Amino acid sequence: MDIASGMLHGFYVALQPTNLLWCFFGCFLGTVVGILPGLGPAATISLLLPLTFKMDAAGGIIMMAGIYYGAKYGGSTTSILLNIPGESSSVVTCIDGYQMARKGRAGAALGIAAIASFIAGTVGVVLLTLMAPPIAAFALSFSSPEYFSLMVLGLALVVLLSGTSLVKGLLALLVGLWLTAIGVDIFSAQARFIFGQQTLLGGIDFTIVAIGVFALGEVLSSIDGGEESKMLPVPRGLRNLLPTWQDMKDCRFAFLNGSVVGFIIGVLPGAGGTIASFISYGLEKAVSKHPEKFGTGVVEGVAAPEGANNADTGGALIPLLTLGIPGGSSTAILLSALIIWGVHPGPLMMTESPDVFWGLVASMYIGNIMLLILNLPMVPAFAQILRMPVYVLFPFIFGISIVGVYGTTGRMFDLGLLAGFGFLGYMMGKLKFPTAPLILGFVLGDSMERALRQSMMMYGGDFTALFHRPITATMLVLAGIVLILPLITYFNRVRVQAVAEGGEA
Amino acid sequence: MKRRSLLAGTAALVVSAAFAPAFAQWQPTQPLELVVHGGPGSGNDVMARQLTTIIEQEKLSPVRVQVSNRVGGGSTTAAAYMASKKGDSNTIAVFTIVWVTDPLTQEAATNKLNDLTPITRLIEEPALIVVRADSPYKTLADFVKAAKEKPGQLKQSGGSITSRDNILRQLIMKQAGANWVFVPFPGGGERIAAILGGHTDIMITDPSETGEQVRAGKLKVLAQVGKERLQTFKDIPTLKEAGFDFQDIPQTRGIVGPPGMPPEAVKYYEDFFEKLRKTAGWKKFLADNQLLGVDEKSAESKKFLVTYEDMLRVVLKDAGAKVVR
Repeated sequence: MDIASGMLHGFYVALQPTNLLWCFFGCFLGTVVGILPGLGPAATISLLLPLTFKMDAAGGIIMMAGIYYGAKYGGSTTSILLNIPGESSSVVTCIDGYQMARKGRAGAALGIAAIASFIAGTVGVVLLTLMAPPIAAFALSFSSPEYFSLMVLGLALVVLLSGTSLVKGLLALLVGLWLTAIGVDIFSAQARFIFGQQTLLGGIDFTIVAIGVFALGEVLSSIDGGEESKMLPVPRGLRNLLPTWQDMKDCRFAFLNGSVVGFIIGVLPGAGGTIASFISYGLEKAVSKHPEKFGTGVVEGVAAPEGANNADTGGALIPLLTLGIPGGSSTAILLSALIIWGVHPGPLMMTESPDVFWGLVASMYIGNIMLLILNLPMVPAFAQILRMPVYVLFPFIFGISIVGVYGTTGRMFDLGLLAGFGFLGYMMGKLKFPTAPLILGFVLGDSMERALRQSMMMYGGDFTALFHRPITATMLVLAGIVLILPLITYFNRVRVQAVAEGGEA
Repeated sequence: MKRRSLLAGTAALVVSAAFAPAFAQWQPTQPLELVVHGGPGSGNDVMARQLTTIIEQEKLSPVRVQVSNRVGGGSTTAAAYMASKKGDSNTIAVFTIVWVTDPLTQEAATNKLNDLTPITRLIEEPALIVVRADSPYKTLADFVKAAKEKPGQLKQSGGSITSRDNILRQLIMKQAGANWVFVPFPGGGERIAAILGGHTDIMITDPSETGEQVRAGKLKVLAQVGKERLQTFKDIPTLKEAGFDFQDIPQTRGIVGPPGMPPEAVKYYEDFFEKLRKTAGWKKFLADNQLLGVDEKSAESKKFLVTYEDMLRVVLKDAGAKVVR
């Protein structure tokens, strides 16, 4: 079946009334799950799995996938409004999203997040439709050395994320790298830095670090800064709650960047939406005309990562649907679900179960439109949350954070950790340490260490072998340039200053 | 005729009356908690949720069965939770091989599987030894020969060094006197991507994980691990048939209760899972996932796990893991 007739058939399947209903149900549920921190799409799909045993495969996968990509729309809501990342892929959205909310632009941030999600999500599906098999082959050519260099490039962007002080940024990064090393190492089966704590054997859950450092740290700083009596500004009138044309124009490149970066990284098994969102944010900042404004509430800082984590969906489905390889936890459950419904996800699925394959792809076009329609009208409603007086809002944030963490892991110990990370976030704010590099180090560190050790095992410990691989070499060189650039501008400034002073004398 | 059945009936009554005090009936009094050590969506979680669906559909249990995820530190959080449930027979857990390896290799993992109450073993998982379809190796012996010729050059993609893939590698290498590299990847998808992309040379996997790749002609199977050949892979030799004859350490899953579970509760669960094994739903689950059903009661399971642990201890040491117990 070629692409055109495949899509025709796909829309025939996806437009069946029951399947439309399943698609809507999945998207709606996904949005809700995305908004609630702690309950992720993987957990939701797994909880619903027993209810779907009797469903037909096309309807089932259309609904389950709806939850998966719907959650990415919802994830930005709490990031922007409360600085609580709803999903790990929405952590970066906090950086500029929450600052926008504090300036009274919560509605614009939520709106641009929904629009970026829609654009990039749709671009992801288009690319999935048109080039699934060749892209899958490209994904397989990626191996540990390429992953390692990708992570190095990501970390090099830390320099750009770190704001004013390079040293403080690097220190925060190191703490993140250390935190991610906690737990049992699969290469040696040895526990690292667990301090005799059984619960630390599995490492620290990402949500605890992110919610603690961002949400609680921010609330503590605000209280310390005497903000108890103030209310966050929320403009009146629907028009003032939505993004302006200027916002849309500012985000032109961010939409493209998010779509492309998100899709490419999504295709790689073992990378995922969180990494995609970080890298596209870093890229956006690197090419921006006003990089210094990032972190103070620029609209591109919301559009790029939110786009990236949605384009990631289209990419991540490629290895799953064309090779039977799940890249992350959500796609792994979609795979088991397909098996339960009697479909064999793998290289033969496209030809043996065209209903499922093309039906799903077509439903994602419809689902993305549904999500935009679902999410945009909710923007003004959600923005009203900020009308709450601060003495209600802050306890509310604490409550949601605690429920979110306990809901994820179910352990009291982790609430202690949450408090600890909240305090850490507060202290970092007080001492003017940027928090984003810590989170980035935590997200990338684990995969980066693994990729490096895998590469070394593959090449018998020969580091130079990495430079014989073109993609790896290119990315490592790029990372080098990113690291050296600020130094050059620094020296230039010093020289210009020296020349200027010399001229005066 | 009539009289005989009447007699038999009376005899049965007498017998059951005589045994009643020894086997006081135990029944769950509140919803059963079925503990799994993986988070929602992990392999064991999906299995546990399928189990509860079968139990509900067949109305096997007088009370509801709820899956409860006790995640953290491999199996250690779940095992510690089970240990804390001493005296509560309404809580049972799904155990897997990591419940044995974690206490062996982690100082902090203090609750050994055999200190809890193993109730039954349900499953043994077969495995396939696969290479890329265009690989020069036609048999496992070919691969081993190549590995001997260039020691440390060939690569196997797998999971943690305490996982079954690495244990089998150790056993094969030991018998053949060969040596190749083991590259750990945390996710199953990454492992398959590595071999499909030609970055590694061999892989030991679940049939459910790579069966489709084999069917599509992307991977080929050199040998299968298990007592007998799987229906789907009738033409593939088992390890033993391929000339690699050693005591296998099978991947296994079963049900365990809290420490010191009273015999009548153990009996209840043994009967319960006996009924489960007979259901069509369970048979479909095994077939869908290409698993082998095991029928073992508590005493046999315990005995199995004792020898299992002893074997693992030796193999893990060979594999380079630090064994602490």
